[in-house]
Amino acid sequence: MTQLDSRGIVEISDGGVSVELRGETMNLNIGPQHPSTHGVLRLIAEVDGERISKLEPAIGYMHRGKEKLSEVRTYPQITALINRIDWISGFANEVAFIRAIENLMGIEPTPRAQMIRLILTELTRISNHLIFASSYPLELGAATPLMYAMREREHIMDVIESVTGGRFHPNFNRVGGVKPAAGGGKTQKKVTLDLPAGFYAAVENAMDRAEYSCQEFEELVTGNEMIQVRTKDVGVLSYEDAISFGVSGPNARASGVEFDLRKQETGLLPYDDLDFDMVVTYNGDSYDRYLVRMQEIRESIKIVRQAIDSVPSGPLQAKVPRVLKVPAGTTYVRAENPKGEMGYYIVSQGGRIPYRLKIRSASFSNISILSKIAVGQLIPDLVATMGSLDFVLGDVDR
Amino acid sequence: MTDSPSDTETTESTLDAYAADFASAVGAESWSTDFDTIHVYITPDQWVEAATYARDEAGLGFFSWLSAVDWAKEVEVGEPVDDVENLEERFEVLCCLSSPVDASAVILSTSLGKDHPSLDTLVPVYSGAAWHERETAEMFGIDFPGHPNLIKLYLPQEFEGHPLRKSFALGARIAKPWPGTVDVEELPSTENVEAGEGSE
Repeated sequence: MTQLDSRGIVEISDGGVSVELRGETMNLNIGPQHPSTHGVLRLIAEVDGERISKLEPAIGYMHRGKEKLSEVRTYPQITALINRIDWISGFANEVAFIRAIENLMGIEPTPRAQMIRLILTELTRISNHLIFASSYPLELGAATPLMYAMREREHIMDVIESVTGGRFHPNFNRVGGVKPAAGGGKTQKKVTLDLPAGFYAAVENAMDRAEYSCQEFEELVTGNEMIQVRTKDVGVLSYEDAISFGVSGPNARASGVEFDLRKQETGLLPYDDLDFDMVVTYNGDSYDRYLVRMQEIRESIKIVRQAIDSVPSGPLQAKVPRVLKVPAGTTYVRAENPKGEMGYYIVSQGGRIPYRLKIRSASFSNISILSKIAVGQLIPDLVATMGSLDFVLGDVDR
Repeated sequence: MTDSPSDTETTESTLDAYAADFASAVGAESWSTDFDTIHVYITPDQWVEAATYARDEAGLGFFSWLSAVDWAKEVEVGEPVDDVENLEERFEVLCCLSSPVDASAVILSTSLGKDHPSLDTLVPVYSGAAWHERETAEMFGIDFPGHPNLIKLYLPQEFEGHPLRKSFALGARIAKPWPGTVDVEELPSTENVEAGEGSE
């Protein structure tokens, strides 16, 4: 039974015991500058009091036109560009792209390089998830976990830097393998540069610290009643919506999508030989998305510990021509990035530069779900939902 | 559904079989599995039907991405196609659909003419297509009739032109052609800087 008055619609239920007032809606702009967004995102929300009735993310504030820029650059130059798509996990971005070129050129990377790629990808994943673990409680109002996670992450960044020479943008992958490691001075023909001395010990140490950090987080954050109240049953994403919107990575796995390209897409990196579990939960709420990531840190630690024991010896790079000319053809190669499915569709006409490069980034699809799951939420819950999706605006806008 | 077989030969034959099955089910013109990527070439009329088949019958419920390639004779940016004379000018619209349980993935491909390119929207089939179609519409100027809200996604609403078309020149490359002879710009009047160093 409804009845109109000057303020809008008034709904009166049976007996008039509970009265729900629906006032006039108001448009609220959240952003383009907002501290809880990693980059610049604008949300156009239609709110009814505290409750969101419609939400439309407006993106493009960081659109750098990487696909267009790639059409005027050689393949090695593009590697530097794609490092900066998702800058939290720069190394992981490179792997699928380089594998796509190798696919087109018919070059098989050396086993040693593949294992080093795998180790660094997993280190990047831990680092990415630790960033999430630090910023997410901050968005919910807890400032302390930020310090804890950032401290442990620094050990991982040190390891990545010792190998690649870069913290955020390693630009370390080469067609056929990886770059000779940094720290060896000028490259001389007779000197083979490899992993820096003390690398394995440094990785072990970083893994111990990361594991300790996980435990610390479980005591400090995971079991925290306030965190649970803020995140449980908030921003629930169904299985059907997840796959229909193309939501991937930990966000999808928190909604029961049993899909991890590390398990399914064999042949990209040698994950087959390693023992680890795919982390899947079924509630699809913000709390589950947090849990999946925390558990994935533990799984990645397991992977890295096994991997450093089984790095094969041999050259870092296969024999490749000095000037990279990629034969004509098209291929699509995707990889499990920390944030989800990262894929590159390369159209080559033969030559040094691609005719077209389509970049499929995870956050783009992951954030498009926001206009669906945020409807009906309170504004503070929107922040909790948004943070739990773990997006980076560079990965959204490309 | 394909498993992930161990040796490459089996992979190729299962890929081929999978692609052939899919192509015949949607009535495709042709298909290819070059570089382990399944392309299924269909006509624009078959577009929505093929996507519906992929979702409901083939188990490819995961919407990966949708985009286009501009096949053009006149290329303002990048290197032109090798065999320019025989190139048919067209837009190739691509849509990658994959399985949420195993490694199977199919890229649907269809060709549109250069005049008023238009293709039925996939939004009723895959909700995720909404943003991808908005991006393709603004970047290539392809219309998607039936789309609920086909406004610009990245670019300002008043922006003119379609940046990913080959005829759209890249400003930075007009100002400085590539590949140039010098990669790094020279410092402004090098002699003066050197002379100035002593005095400061």
